[in-house]
Amino acid sequence: MVALVFISLPRTVFAQKCDTIPDNEITTSVKMLGIGATNVLDTYISPEKYTGREIRFISLVNKIKIGSRWSTMMINQGDVSYTKNRSSDGDEIAGMYNFAYGYHYNWTLCSGALRLQAGGLADLNIGFIYNTRSGNNPAQARCYLNITPSGSAEYDMHIHNRIYMLRYSLQLPLVGVMFSPNYGQSYYEIFSKGNYDHNIVPTTFMSTPSFRQMLTVDFNICHTTLRVGYLGDYQQSKVNNLKTHIYTNSIVIGVVKRFQIFRIRR
Amino acid sequence: MKYLISFILCLLAFTSCVDEEQYSDTPRGNFEALWKIMDQHYCFFDYKKQVYGLDWNSIYDKYKVRIYDGMNDDRLFEVLGDMLGELRDGHVNMYSSSNVARNWSFQEDYPSNFIDTLQRAYIGTNYRMTCGIKYTILDDNIGYMYIGTMENSIGSGNIDDILSYFELCNGIIIDVRENGGGLIDNAEILASHFTNKELLVGYMQHKTGTGHSDFSAMQEQVLKPSSGLRWQKSTVVLTNRKVFSATNEFVKYMKCCDKVSIVGDRTGGGAGLPLNSEIPNGWNIRFSACPMYDKDKQSTEFGIDPDYKVDINKTDFLRNKDTIIEYARSLILKGKYK
Repeated sequence: MVALVFISLPRTVFAQKCDTIPDNEITTSVKMLGIGATNVLDTYISPEKYTGREIRFISLVNKIKIGSRWSTMMINQGDVSYTKNRSSDGDEIAGMYNFAYGYHYNWTLCSGALRLQAGGLADLNIGFIYNTRSGNNPAQARCYLNITPSGSAEYDMHIHNRIYMLRYSLQLPLVGVMFSPNYGQSYYEIFSKGNYDHNIVPTTFMSTPSFRQMLTVDFNICHTTLRVGYLGDYQQSKVNNLKTHIYTNSIVIGVVKRFQIFRIRR
Repeated sequence: MKYLISFILCLLAFTSCVDEEQYSDTPRGNFEALWKIMDQHYCFFDYKKQVYGLDWNSIYDKYKVRIYDGMNDDRLFEVLGDMLGELRDGHVNMYSSSNVARNWSFQEDYPSNFIDTLQRAYIGTNYRMTCGIKYTILDDNIGYMYIGTMENSIGSGNIDDILSYFELCNGIIIDVRENGGGLIDNAEILASHFTNKELLVGYMQHKTGTGHSDFSAMQEQVLKPSSGLRWQKSTVVLTNRKVFSATNEFVKYMKCCDKVSIVGDRTGGGAGLPLNSEIPNGWNIRFSACPMYDKDKQSTEFGIDPDYKVDINKTDFLRNKDTIIEYARSLILKGKYK
């Protein structure tokens, strides 16, 4: 019979016991919460910018086989924001779910102290912006799929006999497709009448100059690895003569777990 | 790896801000913002230039001189409201916390042709009612339904029930006078019970850019017959100048149906599906964005002519008779339609 156990790995070498068979894969799982300031513009709804607060949940799962230079990355993140216009007469609620999956090539430099990743992600985003007082065009659906080059750098620092890992990651959409109503097109035309007009738009980094970046530091407290840092998420588009941007600057905090799965024979 | 890093740096170099010019929250800034919103989004500039010579650039010059630093909100509202009034469009409004700017000349400059005390003489107080539709059978066996608004969602089943109730009637009158519109889906659901085949009832388009003439191709509006009950006898739709927006569309659809006559006054129009925006001080703006046309590709923005133009006359009024209802009854009893 085979069972699974999870063993936390504080970046160590694994001792293989005679009654266990280690899986040939190391998983790094990160769960984080973010809170920050956001700035929302969608000219389909309003030419005014809305500013306010955003909360976000981020899950990153990185898997690499021992001895391999290729790793997989899966990202799930969701955010909700509540914003107001500058006159405080109008409110907007926005939400976005992001799923990304992809591969990275890994380099280890400086005797293992510096680790680099570079690769690409398939990056799906689904969300909405809802204006609470705009009667005829109160909401905008947001849906886009991108091929996104991404990379990260990790560096181990020794300060006062403790190890801190500094990490920077960056994702830049290259090409993709996006849903958008046409400039003055109503959702009634699209969804009630089926009158489509360039509603699925091919995009490039010129029409959707977006990026996400995160600068964090990992450290251990009470046998737990914490990650704190900064997230900058800048999603922009200019398609069908409509402009949108959602700029978010957040503080993130979370827990990092590295583990290897062992199969135990009973 | 250096190629990849170079590639990412190139991508970053191309990453520029997507932004929109923000006007200041001053009388001048709000004026400029409002003029630009309408200039880039309003859909009837070309049409109204043909009809009455509207020139939006001249409007800018005309109203710019009425804006000055330090003017109070009431005065600013008045000037901006006057500027919007130049569009002569009931779908163009500006909403502040204390007022609504509007140009309702489409109805205010004409006789109302609807007197509720006269209507009460026909419908009484014992009428049936569903989805805001009041209906009864008149004493000459003609069904009468009054639809005062399109704001309430109307289901096809509701119309089936009403038509079942009218089953033995010689014909029906659908009175939409005073109906200023609401949900455009209601217009289609209602009209679908009065045709046995698919009908081309009009066209619709939308803006594709900021230019006054940047429009999509015209898309056909097709009225499909209801899968429920479909009325096969005479129908008369009563209209006046307050018939606007979604109700104007309903009249447009009904005008394409067999055995249907339109009686009363010209409708008020309102053939632009509206969208909303706002200016820096928070005042909400509504404007016509998607123009709609009749089956001959003619705009119905300024209304639809009835098949039989009838006004309420004073003699009938003194006799407690509604001239328009009486005319409709006579058409049905004579078996006459357009």
